[in-house]
Amino acid sequence: MTEAEQPLIQIQELTKVFYTDEIETHALSGVHLSINKGEYVAMSGPSGCGKSTLLSIIGLLDTPTAGRYFLNGKTVENLDFAERSRIRNQEIGFIFQSFNLIGDLTVYENVELPLTYRQKMPAANRKARVMEALERVGMAHRVRHYPSQLSGGQQQRVAVARALGGKPSILLADEPTGNLDSRNGEAVMEFLQNLHREGATICMVTHDPRFAKHAQREVHLFDGKVVAEEELKKLLQETSA
Amino acid sequence: MTGLLQDLRYALRQLRKSPGFTAVAVITLALGIGATTAVFSVVDQVLLHPLPYPDSDRIVKVSQTFEGISTGDASPANYLDWVAQNQVFAQMAASRGWQGSLSAGDRPERIRGTMTTPNFFPLFGVNPMLGRGLQAGDAQAGNDHVVVLGYGLWQRYFAADHSIVGRDIRLNGEQYTVVGVMPPNFSPDEYGELWLPSPWGVPTHPLAPDKDPRQFRDRNYLDVWARLKPGVMPQQARAELDTIGRRLETQYPDSNDKTGVSFLPLHEYVVGDIRPVLLVLLAAVAVVLLIGCANVANLLLARATARAKEISIRTTLGASRRRLLRQLLTESVLLALVGGVLGLLLAVVAVPSLLALSPPDIRQFKQIGINREVLAFSFLASIVCGIVFGLMPALQSSRSSPSEFLKEGERGSTANRGRTRSALVIAEVGLSLVLLVGAGLLVKSFMRLMDVNPGFDPDHLLTFNLGLPSSTDAVRQLAFYQEVVQRLQALPGVQAVGAVSRLPLAGGNSSRSFSLPGIDKGYSADIRVSTPDYFRAMGIPLLKGRSFSESDLGSSLNVAIVNEALARTVFPGQDPIGKQLTKFGPDNLTLQIIGVVGNVRHVGLDTAPHSEIYQLLGQAPWPSMFVAIRSATSDPTSVTSAAQNVVWRVNKDIPLANVRTMQEVIANSVQRRRFSMLLFTIFAVVAMLLAAVGLYGVMSYSVAQRTKEIGIRMALGARRPDVVALVVKQGMALVLMGIAAGTTLALGMTRLISGMLFGITATDPLTFAAVVALLGAVAFLANYLPARRAASVDPMVALRYE
Ligand SMILES: Nc1ncnc2c1ncn2[C@@H]1O[C@H](COP(=O)(O)OP(=O)(O)O)[C@@H](O)[C@H]1O
Ligand SMILES: [Mg+2]
Repeated sequence: MTEAEQPLIQIQELTKVFYTDEIETHALSGVHLSINKGEYVAMSGPSGCGKSTLLSIIGLLDTPTAGRYFLNGKTVENLDFAERSRIRNQEIGFIFQSFNLIGDLTVYENVELPLTYRQKMPAANRKARVMEALERVGMAHRVRHYPSQLSGGQQQRVAVARALGGKPSILLADEPTGNLDSRNGEAVMEFLQNLHREGATICMVTHDPRFAKHAQREVHLFDGKVVAEEELKKLLQETSA
Repeated sequence: MTGLLQDLRYALRQLRKSPGFTAVAVITLALGIGATTAVFSVVDQVLLHPLPYPDSDRIVKVSQTFEGISTGDASPANYLDWVAQNQVFAQMAASRGWQGSLSAGDRPERIRGTMTTPNFFPLFGVNPMLGRGLQAGDAQAGNDHVVVLGYGLWQRYFAADHSIVGRDIRLNGEQYTVVGVMPPNFSPDEYGELWLPSPWGVPTHPLAPDKDPRQFRDRNYLDVWARLKPGVMPQQARAELDTIGRRLETQYPDSNDKTGVSFLPLHEYVVGDIRPVLLVLLAAVAVVLLIGCANVANLLLARATARAKEISIRTTLGASRRRLLRQLLTESVLLALVGGVLGLLLAVVAVPSLLALSPPDIRQFKQIGINREVLAFSFLASIVCGIVFGLMPALQSSRSSPSEFLKEGERGSTANRGRTRSALVIAEVGLSLVLLVGAGLLVKSFMRLMDVNPGFDPDHLLTFNLGLPSSTDAVRQLAFYQEVVQRLQALPGVQAVGAVSRLPLAGGNSSRSFSLPGIDKGYSADIRVSTPDYFRAMGIPLLKGRSFSESDLGSSLNVAIVNEALARTVFPGQDPIGKQLTKFGPDNLTLQIIGVVGNVRHVGLDTAPHSEIYQLLGQAPWPSMFVAIRSATSDPTSVTSAAQNVVWRVNKDIPLANVRTMQEVIANSVQRRRFSMLLFTIFAVVAMLLAAVGLYGVMSYSVAQRTKEIGIRMALGARRPDVVALVVKQGMALVLMGIAAGTTLALGMTRLISGMLFGITATDPLTFAAVVALLGAVAFLANYLPARRAASVDPMVALRYE
């Protein structure tokens, strides 16, 4: 297999069980998914079906209970904490629904943060990257502001810049527009669109069919499983009936 | 009033609801208040209470001065002139220490007492508990064999026998009639087991007990006490004594050259030296309490955040700010009072151990304990603490508006609280550094002191004191000590035995004046009388010439051995051997120097050696001698009972007094330093631990607050060491600020204890560096634990809260 043909992300028979107070929650029960390099995938499904859980496993924030996950053809099960940190830092960019900026840091410092966890990055280099990312999202004029001084839309743009700054090969976005009005939501979608055009692999969770359209492919999750679109409709009808 | 009850009930419920918080706060406060109360109970009796005599502030200790400096004592003739010429004192009395053996059964007991003028008790205003005191008629030859017993001796030796008055007892083998018993706690001087009169009114000279002392103007051995007449101001008395002193100086130029009179209030005389030590300790323990308060304030601030919702609901329901403040302060004062009660119990337990550690100048205050003033103090301290640590959190809580809480939940006021908490921790670190530096300086001083060469070898030495009745003549003295020394020498395991009039570091001293032939200049030196083998027994090196020998006793030449200090100051650049000392002592003897020995630290390890002259026992009389036995075994006390038997075989009326190893004598001589060092160190370590706990609390709280942020950082690629570094850096920034503030403060404050230091300056850089390193290490640990917790945050859980 050549590299172009090999999926960037390959997931097989993945399950995730949460144990809380002796209650087992099967958040994922046998997920199969592969995402190719440069693909733009939208993930949807009803609340609680396991979207966020799947995204955090993909992003190496969480580990599966069972199943296999190959990233770039390599299995991730045996990576230690430091190795996972390094991959998160260099290969993966996160965008969260609730922005997750750090309140005590300025806009500039927030965007710089992932870069500070990289060894051997010269300060001048770092500064260029931060400013470039902020300019792309149109927030370069707000470097000294604190997150609390920004609107929601502006905060999410800073969060996008933070994800961009590290030049990750994979961008993971969990309902990035969930806390935004439609105008700001559209703007964020446009950034993702542009990034995709430049070659980024994107995996985005969204309920909103309007935003899901932007993606090349839509993956439907239901009750911890990937289902086909027609099947999803049927299932949804059954549950509402 | 009902409001207050309600507040109290609610406060109790709050404390019960969070037992962990309550326990930590109460224990911290109990430690602080307990330690402060214990130290205060000492300060209260020693410094704040008047001495237990009526109008004790009018009693003074009078003494001669030499070149303007008080000598602490007086001669009988001068004393009698002061009595005759002054108009300012209602009473004047003179006394001297007396030692002798008391025998009732077959076991004699060595007793310390006081020989005094008859007006001693009326001067202090204390009446005997049984019988009568001394009367003018007792102070006459033939009537002078009467004695007043001290309470302790009466209890101990006479089993508190109420029919003792009128009975005869034997002192130094002579018959005395008990005429009275004094009440407990009467001991104006350090002796005070019994009091007896002198046949000449004025106490006799201890080395010339058969001579009328009233003409002695150059033998200074009297303690003089006086009571100011009502209405006479101290300055007035001082002026008059000055005049009298100058008059006597011109009248008796031989003996009174450069000599004057001065006095010290009795209280000052009793507590003068110990006052700065106690004040420093009180300040130190107050700082510990303050740090404890800061810790509790920090706990309360953390809880205030948790209770913000409750507070905002109360405000929404219309509680006024004042009402809220009262509610919150009721809680903190209640907390402090619970801590105070526990602290008081702690103090009750701690005071006896404190006294056991304390030097005699504190222990002589037998009434030290928890009295009404101390109770009031700890009650007040608790209330003040409650307000001090409660006010800031309460003010902050009551200030936050409900809308702010409902809107933002945690922003705004939280940051403000975080700053206050950080400031408190900085202050705690700074204050504990000041105490640690103080403790470090005292410890180092003590170690320096213990390293001082005393001038003799203190190991394998047993010492005790033997007292012949002072009426024993010189021939019998010599015979007794010669025989004792000889027999002790013959004991198995004994290497060398010597006897000396004044043992180094055991307290007590005597000095004599002398001149050089043909030179019209007066010198003074400390005087010791010893047996020939004393230097060998003590390990005092003979530097030049020879030691005493038995053959010197038969010779008409009065021989002397001087120490290096005297050789250097009196005979600089010359060989002192063969030189003569003239006009020596009141008898104007001429001595010939036969040897030079090494200097001995006699007064204290911290005092430079004086000039010393040793005379041979037999050429000079001395009734009460210290014996030093150098044993071959490592435990010098193993010869104690054999030594006791030897002495009894020579004279069955002479007991061994003050049996101690030389190491014990040294330990005793540094007891006050050890006391202040130990206490200060305990306080400093407690302060440091409290500061570390405070730091730990603040950092743990901060980590909890920052869980989400840490999760984000981890999602963005922070590794565990990055997170540990993040938290440790934040904490160590506080520590560094505290250390900077504390160092500045310490540089200013340690001067206050410079009087307690030895061999180092108050700004000793090594001590500062060591303390900063220690505090830094402990603070690092206090930071590292929460930092590790932060590093184990699961980013998923941290991010999940949405
Ligand atoms: N840490 C956790 N502990 C227990 N249950 C969890 C945890 N995280 C997710 N779950 C449960 O797993 C299921 C999937 O959650 P999630 O992936 O967040 O759903 P979605 O993002 O699709 O709304 C839900 O039932 C949720 O309650
Ligand atoms: Mg979700």
